[in-house]
Amino acid sequence: MNQLDIGHLHKPFRNPHWKPSQRRNRNLKQIIAESARKEASVMATQANSGATTPFTATGSTTADGTQTPAEGAGKTPNLAQASQNLSSLVLEKNARANFPTVTYTNIESAPSLTAANHRHYCDITGLSGPYTDPKTRLRYHNKEIFGVIRTLAQGVPETYLEARGAHTVLK
Amino acid sequence: MTITSVKTILPTRFAANSTEKPAAKPPPEPYHAQDFPFKGYQAPQTDGFERSRAHPDTSAIVIDNGAHLVKAGWSFDKNPRFIIPPVMSRYRDRKLNRQCNFVGHDAYLDATTRGQLRGAFDPGSSVVGNWDVMEGVLDYMFLKLGVDGSNGGVDRPIVMTEPIANLGYPRRMMNEILFECYSAPSVSYGIDSLFAYRYNKGTDGLVVSSSHTSTHVIPVLGGKPLLSNCTRLNWGGLQNAEYLMKLMKLKYPTFPARITDNQMEDLVRNHCYVSQDYDRELSGYLDWTGLEDRDRVIQYPFTEHIVVEKTEEELARIAERKKESGRRLQEQAAKMRLEKLVKKEQELEYWKSIQATLASETKKEIRRILESEELKDEAHLERMIRDLEKSIKRSRNKDLGIEETEEQPEEMSFPMLDIPDDQLDEAGLKEKRHQRLMKSNVDARARAKAEKEREKARVEEEERLDREKRENNFEAWISERRANRQSILQRIKDRDRMKADLGNRKSLASQQRMKTLANLASDGPKKRRRGGDDDDFGANDDDWGVYRTVATGDQSDEEEEEDLGAMLNGAEAELLQYDPEFTENHTLAAQTDWTKSLVHGFLRGPWPFDPESQREAHQLHLNVERIRVPEVVFKPSIAGVDQAGLIQIAADIVNQRFSGTEDRARLLKDVFLTGGNTLFSGFEDRFRSELRGYLPIDAEFNVRRASDPVLDAWKGAAQWASGADFGRSSVTRQEYLEKGSEYIKEHDLGNATW
Repeated sequence: MNQLDIGHLHKPFRNPHWKPSQRRNRNLKQIIAESARKEASVMATQANSGATTPFTATGSTTADGTQTPAEGAGKTPNLAQASQNLSSLVLEKNARANFPTVTYTNIESAPSLTAANHRHYCDITGLSGPYTDPKTRLRYHNKEIFGVIRTLAQGVPETYLEARGAHTVLK
Repeated sequence: MTITSVKTILPTRFAANSTEKPAAKPPPEPYHAQDFPFKGYQAPQTDGFERSRAHPDTSAIVIDNGAHLVKAGWSFDKNPRFIIPPVMSRYRDRKLNRQCNFVGHDAYLDATTRGQLRGAFDPGSSVVGNWDVMEGVLDYMFLKLGVDGSNGGVDRPIVMTEPIANLGYPRRMMNEILFECYSAPSVSYGIDSLFAYRYNKGTDGLVVSSSHTSTHVIPVLGGKPLLSNCTRLNWGGLQNAEYLMKLMKLKYPTFPARITDNQMEDLVRNHCYVSQDYDRELSGYLDWTGLEDRDRVIQYPFTEHIVVEKTEEELARIAERKKESGRRLQEQAAKMRLEKLVKKEQELEYWKSIQATLASETKKEIRRILESEELKDEAHLERMIRDLEKSIKRSRNKDLGIEETEEQPEEMSFPMLDIPDDQLDEAGLKEKRHQRLMKSNVDARARAKAEKEREKARVEEEERLDREKRENNFEAWISERRANRQSILQRIKDRDRMKADLGNRKSLASQQRMKTLANLASDGPKKRRRGGDDDDFGANDDDWGVYRTVATGDQSDEEEEEDLGAMLNGAEAELLQYDPEFTENHTLAAQTDWTKSLVHGFLRGPWPFDPESQREAHQLHLNVERIRVPEVVFKPSIAGVDQAGLIQIAADIVNQRFSGTEDRARLLKDVFLTGGNTLFSGFEDRFRSELRGYLPIDAEFNVRRASDPVLDAWKGAAQWASGADFGRSSVTRQEYLEKGSEYIKEHDLGNATW
């Protein structure tokens, strides 16, 4: 145990004067909120530049500035339009490299609109779930599962819904 | 509006589920869940640092900072030297009175260290959230790599991986730590999946990286990533484990052992696989045939309650002792009986002698004697003697073991009853009353007997009619019987529903019950409204049934329950006997047998479950979960993630953003899978076959997997760090001080600045 403990080992490579801030630990939400504020402030300055029409000068700019010189002009006709909102598009067309084109938030995949991705599955077993119990909103496979649903204790259906992300969130 | 007629609909009775009773399955082969990934002591390897002394400027420390595992080594190594999870356990040991730090696998040492476990990454993301832990991890790595810190710093360039589109804050913090705490001469960052792609010699293609916390799709052309077209799906190996944990907790809400994240990760890794055709495989997953192969049993440690088995000898001794005491009791009883008998005989003798003396005495003398013996009259004496004789005889018979014969009571005659009262004196009247009582007694007995006879005859008659009907009109008889069975089943169902409804305070049944209770409690106006002024409750026997409807709990419907069960058994026995189409498999008992139950198959596999057994109570069964969990990355909506699936993302990038250009062809020629989450068996095949469906028919399309989806990122980073690009792309300490903590240099494998 003593051997495993690195607390008492001398670490000469550390700067003895290193005093980190006490409040440097932040969770993702805080970080994203902070960076969003920053992006917004950049956008605000850009929005005053006058040339805010997104459809001007199409093809003369690359999507992400210096990042993809290999593509060359006009080689990326379909920009990631689905994943960006209009104002960021505007910004992209406007400024050259001075603002975020790729951020942690805007590379997130968009919701799927095809029906194939919204097939219903039984909440209890995971088998196909063609029916929905109107009382608990749980999807179920057959009447045996329905019998199980009806015997669930209070609050349990909600946890099943939570596993599917369909639970009610009270704020 | 009310439903006035209820018609029982006979289901198509011989449905598909009435197959033969399935054969028993061989006993399961239990698997075990790995508990804690404790690896024991790992000695530092200082040779790398010594070797790096020769070229301190180009020999870099390479750290793949993964959310699941942090890999570290030297740029001239073939493989990372140390691979640890980014966790630290720090606490103050009271006994040693010092701060203890355990990092990586060492943090799983014992319960104390596990209790203080903290992860470096923000839960569920690839972003570092806890910098104290991150520092601990880096300390550990530098210590193990033998960094001597002779000039007060790490003194070697550092190459690190970071997530795609890393946020400013984490990068700033990392830079601050590396430059200020460890005094690194230079640092450079790159994207893990791109390192892996480079290591696998890819230049143009679609990189699909499904790792611990997220899944990315990045198009790469000419060795450069098109980051603006990259897309992230928030699902990875960690989410898989968490999802399995949720499912298991729901599946076994009363599981006695503790289910840990590490175990779930282990289960996902070892038992889950990607289904090639999810819906088709799913539909038959819990079918009886082959379920023993699909169902995986995970055995948790348990202690069986040991039932103390008594030895043969002990059992024999106990039996002997029991017998002995029984015999003793019998003897005692016999002795007592004998004593009683003797006493009775003596008494009898005495009374008889009195009787004999009475015969020769005067009336007055008789009265005196009788009075002294507290007897009323001679008849009384006679009766007493008769009774005594009878009881003596009975007990004699019992002792001798002679079967008691029910002697027919002599025909009683009641002569007094016919005599009018006024012709009787007081004694006569008394006697008459007595006789009347006796007579009514006898009459009642006779009536009951006759009633019994009649009932018997009626049942016999009924049976006869039934038999006749069966023989003459079998069709009608059998359908009647079937309907009867259905109605019993319906009643059982109704009863169960009623019981379930009464459990719910808001159900109709409960409310009705409360109403009835209120009615019963109030003897006021409500009653009057129903049945007039006079309260005739109880005049009709059915009135009391109301108490049965309001009673709940154990005492309420026990008798009824017995009744329905017995009725059903009777009906089914008859059907079994006469109905050629009704077999053992059609009985309710067989239909509700556990082998037919989908839920049982889901919870316990194709094996019977004994709730007493601790062994079985400590088992997890993985069946549908085995394909359900890895499926989420293809269909995120299963787990409630509102994003498109991996295939759709890839297809969208290829078809929408690169449509009609030769770039698409270049991307499709080399689709590259990397990351730990692609290790599932079947992942590659599924990806290939499903993405194929989104592509033009003539598109050339090739999918390959990284040679080592987990370690290739580190290897690629090490390779890159040995090359020329590295020197150009790293930020020196000087630049850091000049240009700020968020400054990075762009290169082909890293993030872009903005």
